[in-house]
Amino acid sequence: MNLVFVGWDHRAAPLDLRERLAFTPEKTREALEGLFAEHILSEGAIVSTCNRAEIYGISAREDGLDALAGFFSRFHRVDDALLRQTALSGRGDATSRHLFRVAAGLDSMVLGEAQILGQIREAHRLATAAGTVHTVTNRLFMSALECGKRVRAETALGQKPTSVAGLALALAGRVFESLKGRKVLLIGAGETAELTARLLADDGVSEILVANRSYEKGEALAAAIRGRAVRWEDRARAAAGVDLVLSATNAAEPVLTVGALRTALHGAPRRGPLLVLDLAVPRDVEPEVGKLSDVYRYDLDGLQEMAAANARSRADEVPHAEAIVEESVRKFQEWWGGLLQGDVVRGLREKLESIRRAELEKYAGKLGAMGASERAAVERLTETLVAHILHDPTVGLKEGDGSERLERAAAVRALFRLDERPK
Amino acid sequence: MEAARLASMLGWAALVAYALSTILYTTSVFRTAPAIGWAATAFAVLGAVCNFGTLYARSVALHSVPYRDLLGSMKLFGFFLAMLNIVLELRHRDRSLGPFLMPAALVFLIFAVLQTSPVHKDAPELKGPIFALHVTLNMLAYAAFAVACALSMLYLVVGRSLKKRALSGPASRLPSLSYLERANRTSLALGILSLSVGLFLGLFWASRMWKGEHPQWVLDPKIWFALMTLAFYVFVLVRARRGAGPISTARLSIAGFLLVLLSYTAVNVLVSKLHDFTS
Repeated sequence: MNLVFVGWDHRAAPLDLRERLAFTPEKTREALEGLFAEHILSEGAIVSTCNRAEIYGISAREDGLDALAGFFSRFHRVDDALLRQTALSGRGDATSRHLFRVAAGLDSMVLGEAQILGQIREAHRLATAAGTVHTVTNRLFMSALECGKRVRAETALGQKPTSVAGLALALAGRVFESLKGRKVLLIGAGETAELTARLLADDGVSEILVANRSYEKGEALAAAIRGRAVRWEDRARAAAGVDLVLSATNAAEPVLTVGALRTALHGAPRRGPLLVLDLAVPRDVEPEVGKLSDVYRYDLDGLQEMAAANARSRADEVPHAEAIVEESVRKFQEWWGGLLQGDVVRGLREKLESIRRAELEKYAGKLGAMGASERAAVERLTETLVAHILHDPTVGLKEGDGSERLERAAAVRALFRLDERPK
Repeated sequence: MEAARLASMLGWAALVAYALSTILYTTSVFRTAPAIGWAATAFAVLGAVCNFGTLYARSVALHSVPYRDLLGSMKLFGFFLAMLNIVLELRHRDRSLGPFLMPAALVFLIFAVLQTSPVHKDAPELKGPIFALHVTLNMLAYAAFAVACALSMLYLVVGRSLKKRALSGPASRLPSLSYLERANRTSLALGILSLSVGLFLGLFWASRMWKGEHPQWVLDPKIWFALMTLAFYVFVLVRARRGAGPISTARLSIAGFLLVLLSYTAVNVLVSKLHDFTS
């Protein structure tokens, strides 16, 4: 009985192959049922994202990995040789290590990305609904989720955004508690401005002003996003009255100058900080604007530099994250080893024996009054009792197929609290 | 156990708890392990409970309010700082004020615990609910101004890190600028309200208790300094509400707390004779 995985990810499998191997929820259920029907797996779950399609499970077959690859070749009607050539696979430790690294974001295309945790949770949910998750895969996926959460809580692996959009949002989060109720000025009415405006409207900003050189075009965008158009010549005054300015025009010269904004800020008292994001190339907002008190200005170059620096510093967190993964692998293997190596029977025997001895000691005073032969009889009596109690569970733990045996072993461990240290 | 001894023991217990809490809060800025933050909060709560206990035991020992002298009021001030930290932390689920407020609470408690200064005279002006309210509200106001000062310092730190484009490091774990600005204004408003009522009660009480023995009580520098401090904070808050920049409000808020410290220490001890109850 082996814990195995087979998968195709963004490193080994090209995009067109990954597209063909993708699983919808219906396909996931169908594949899992097929794997059970063909007795390839006795437990299993499928993780399917745009960057990977992987199956994890328990196989009693010696050729389990080959059988899995063969099944997917038939299931997806993909050339068997191509699948085997691009597949990642492993058994035992390698399986848990791979899933834990995936959960930690160490195997992701963008190092440390957090979406994968939700995708693993979804894989577990689908397999549970299909009835293919039992003792081992349940523990494996729960441990993976725990490992992923620990990595995110204890390292900075996923904390620093590495995309311009992610950075813009992170900056907004450092300046404002939330964008809800904030006023925004968009300078420009092109594609970038429109896309950003729609995202901001979804975030619950209270008002979006649009300043565009062509007032009509600005008015059209404002109408589409339920905003308000302002005259091009009023843009500096409008900037002084909002919380966030986002500029993305094609202008060759800066459209928001430090002089105009300073004058506007003096004329329009404001309460909070002003965040200015200049997403245009060449720049729309004069760099000196960033030197004004309470104004925080960022341009595209700056954002890209910050993104690159963040990507580099994420890499520094990898050893720490790998250490957490290894600790999780060790813990899982200890649990798994306990199930497989007959520890349950041994543990149960030791527990009952310790209870027997403790009880005899408790009554040592009364037993002391007996003769040697009576004491030996009591000793034999208690030994026989323990042996009889142990007989049925010992036989029962060896019955059934692999998964059933594991489930019974886990139940005995939990019911008799065999994982707890004796007090 | 006699109340004075119990007060002393609880004072030491509060001091140790505040010290541990300070260390843990400071560590939590650099290390993200959640257990460190929870332990910091737990010791802050334990310290505040002991601090309250020492105030209570002292009041039993003195048969009056426990903060009728400078050292007693320092204990109360430390207690308010710890409590404001705990309340803000639970309200906003944010521990970033802890590394600023708990060391301040610790410093005040160290002074109060290490120096024993029994009140020599049992002056009638040190008794009664009006006196108790006067001192309590003034202490609450000073604690609120201390919180405003801490929030302002954080505002400047976060603002500077944003100007320097530093999105990582300890500053990245601090709250957003808009929260700090809003919380600063709330603390200032609480402090002003508390100080206004506290001062009014103090003036009322003084006019009744001192008019015969100290007819010149109106000229007491402590009173004028406190009124000046109040006027300064009212100016800062009105200015902020009228739209002054948050950075300038933060700087003025820090300056205001320097006035509070001056009023609380130098003016109290060296200049004001009427407010010196220790001799």
